Amino acid sequence: MNDPINRVVVVGGGTAGWLTAGIIAAEHCISKSTNHRPFELTLIESPDISTIGVGEGTWPSMRSTLQKMGISETDLLTNCDASFKQGTFFKDWATGDGDTYAHPFTAPYRYADTNLAPHWRARAERPSYSESVCPQPQLCSKRLAPKQITTPEYAFNVNYGYHLDATNLAAFLKRHCIDVLGVKHIQATVTEINSADNGDIESISTDRAGTIAGGLFIDCTGSKSLLLGKHFGIALQDKSQILFNNSALATQVPYPTDDAPIESCTLSTAQDAGWIWDIGLPSRRGVGHVYSSGHTSEEQASDALIKYVESITTASKSKQVSLRKLTFEPGHREKFWHRNCVAIGMSAGFIEPLEASALVLVELSASMIAEQLPATRSVMDLVAGRFNKRFLFRWERIIEFLKLHYVLNKKTALPYWADNLAPSSVPDSLKESLSLWRHISPWHYDSHHVDDLFPSASFQYVLYGMGFETTSSHTKRKTEEDAANLAATLFKENIAKAAQLMSALPTNRELINKINTFGLQKI
Amino acid sequence: MSNFQIVSASKHGQTRVVTAQDSSYGDSLMYVPTFPLEFRDIQSCYPIFFLKEVELGQFFAAALCGFEPGENLFLNNGNWDASYLPMMIRRQPFLIARQAVDPKSADETLPVISIDMDHPRVSDKEGERLFSEEGKPSDFLQEAIQLLKKIHRAHQHNENFTKTLLQYDLLESLTLDITFNNGSKKSLTDFYTINETKLYELEGQALAHLNKEGYLQPIFMAIASFSRLRALIDRKNTP
Repeated sequence: MNDPINRVVVVGGGTAGWLTAGIIAAEHCISKSTNHRPFELTLIESPDISTIGVGEGTWPSMRSTLQKMGISETDLLTNCDASFKQGTFFKDWATGDGDTYAHPFTAPYRYADTNLAPHWRARAERPSYSESVCPQPQLCSKRLAPKQITTPEYAFNVNYGYHLDATNLAAFLKRHCIDVLGVKHIQATVTEINSADNGDIESISTDRAGTIAGGLFIDCTGSKSLLLGKHFGIALQDKSQILFNNSALATQVPYPTDDAPIESCTLSTAQDAGWIWDIGLPSRRGVGHVYSSGHTSEEQASDALIKYVESITTASKSKQVSLRKLTFEPGHREKFWHRNCVAIGMSAGFIEPLEASALVLVELSASMIAEQLPATRSVMDLVAGRFNKRFLFRWERIIEFLKLHYVLNKKTALPYWADNLAPSSVPDSLKESLSLWRHISPWHYDSHHVDDLFPSASFQYVLYGMGFETTSSHTKRKTEEDAANLAATLFKENIAKAAQLMSALPTNRELINKINTFGLQKI
Repeated sequence: MSNFQIVSASKHGQTRVVTAQDSSYGDSLMYVPTFPLEFRDIQSCYPIFFLKEVELGQFFAAALCGFEPGENLFLNNGNWDASYLPMMIRRQPFLIARQAVDPKSADETLPVISIDMDHPRVSDKEGERLFSEEGKPSDFLQEAIQLLKKIHRAHQHNENFTKTLLQYDLLESLTLDITFNNGSKKSLTDFYTINETKLYELEGQALAHLNKEGYLQPIFMAIASFSRLRALIDRKNTP
């Protein structure tokens, strides 16, 4: 049990696999040019299995993840057909009659020391909450970029993540991992998983590369979950009683013209039994309808998607699109790290892509493994215990936050939306929070944990975007008057800041075109 | 607005160019673009910094003349009070344009000298003539042509220069916080300078490369120019 871990084996070569390998290699300074290898890092990829290639939205965290790996942002943007994502824009979620709200990546102005939500509520005439406290919704409405050509790589004027081509991203990360970071790449299909006497995985047999032994195995085999699910039999916890969506139809839509604007947000438009994502890349849009097969048929879902596609491109171009169907069981494994095997990506779990939590979970999982990488087998169980506790908490919080988008709808005539309101479908902790938020708006006390995935600011954006009412208490507070004066100033400053950014920032299209020619500077 | 015309004896036989330096001639510049080929002369008078061109984000070197837009502390009653005048100031109001060899095709072009007729230096009463009465190019015009050729070479040299600086991580961003004698404060951001720590870490092969390309000398000239900052602040302090 005291064997040092001198070989880490990543099984599976999709985005999750290569991102994980890259994050671990970067953390441990594994490099091809210096030949520094504190342990061997191997990735087994089956040439016979294609990757799923969805997950086209990232969080801002992806910037530092890639920067740490030594990737040039210019290379990322040009190789992965990537553009800038500043948040999500929701349409028809509350009443379905054209209502909209934004969930931008930037927290409300001066959020650290001032909670503007009650002051916003107290104003007689007011723009939407997100617009009142953040310049980003306005920038997004004009399809502006979050930075200028003079802004260095990964730096920003306003916070951003990416929209990108997931298939290209996997290929791009793979090249970087092999050529720069010196990750050992084995192309073979797994045939057998071999156990050691103590029950650990001792090695993996493959069809054309022999048997590969290792100290730690990372399962990135997608929804098949070959190691954690199939070999160890760790069950999937079904979450379909909370989040109903279990199917998706995905497609790629050409722009009406080559210079058509590129959206700054993921557009999310509610449908009768699900919602449609619309992600603008430089060369095309990625569009899909995610829905509950218990509430609608594939045919109806497909009709709704085609109708949407027709609304965003020319009639002749909309006829060219072909749909791809995906199904999934919404849920996650009962635990993620078992013995000497840890699952990352879809092998750990999958839920609908609302708020794009898939890639950020890969980043966070891989970072924790990289940082806490047990030196010996004897301490691995302790690290595994901590890992499981942390990520079960994270999954719970993600599921709660996604459910929040559904529980405030007023579309009771539609069974899917009515069922989403059923108390039995709402986690107890979310019910409690909602009762509390009726009286006091979420703020710092609502962030349970330092690495809570969604900060309380996100709860504010969704709540007040959906028309939630917090009835403030009428007891006079000592600081009330000062706070109101400060809030009035901050609202004004936000307007000025938005105006200044509006005049300074180029459109996404303009900036992407310039980057293709000149690149961004590293400094 | 600019109105560039290709210089010709027939068109510009009577045209003159004023050579005095004054704000009325568009000389109120906070900084002037410069080139490594003239860093040795520039550093004797001006601090050299690197800036990013706003439209394309590319680096260029500049000689600092003031601390806010429109302030040129070297201008003094029609004089530019410095022993060396940057090439980009001396070239005004001329510019190199490209002219198609065959007017029907834009494929092959030749450099030609052009003049901005809307430039405040252009006059028909005072200043240096471009052509003699006989229509021969004047010495003044000949010198201008030589200067433009030099700028053209300097420009090409410069592109690789900044690329190489970036390749060796030799640029770093810098914020200048200056307090003047009258108590006013100025913070200059978006400036870049030579990263001396990185420079002194370079080893044989890299140094040989920089030297061979003619970049080592301008790098040290740029570092030396930093001490001109004090003199520039003094100009501001003693109006």
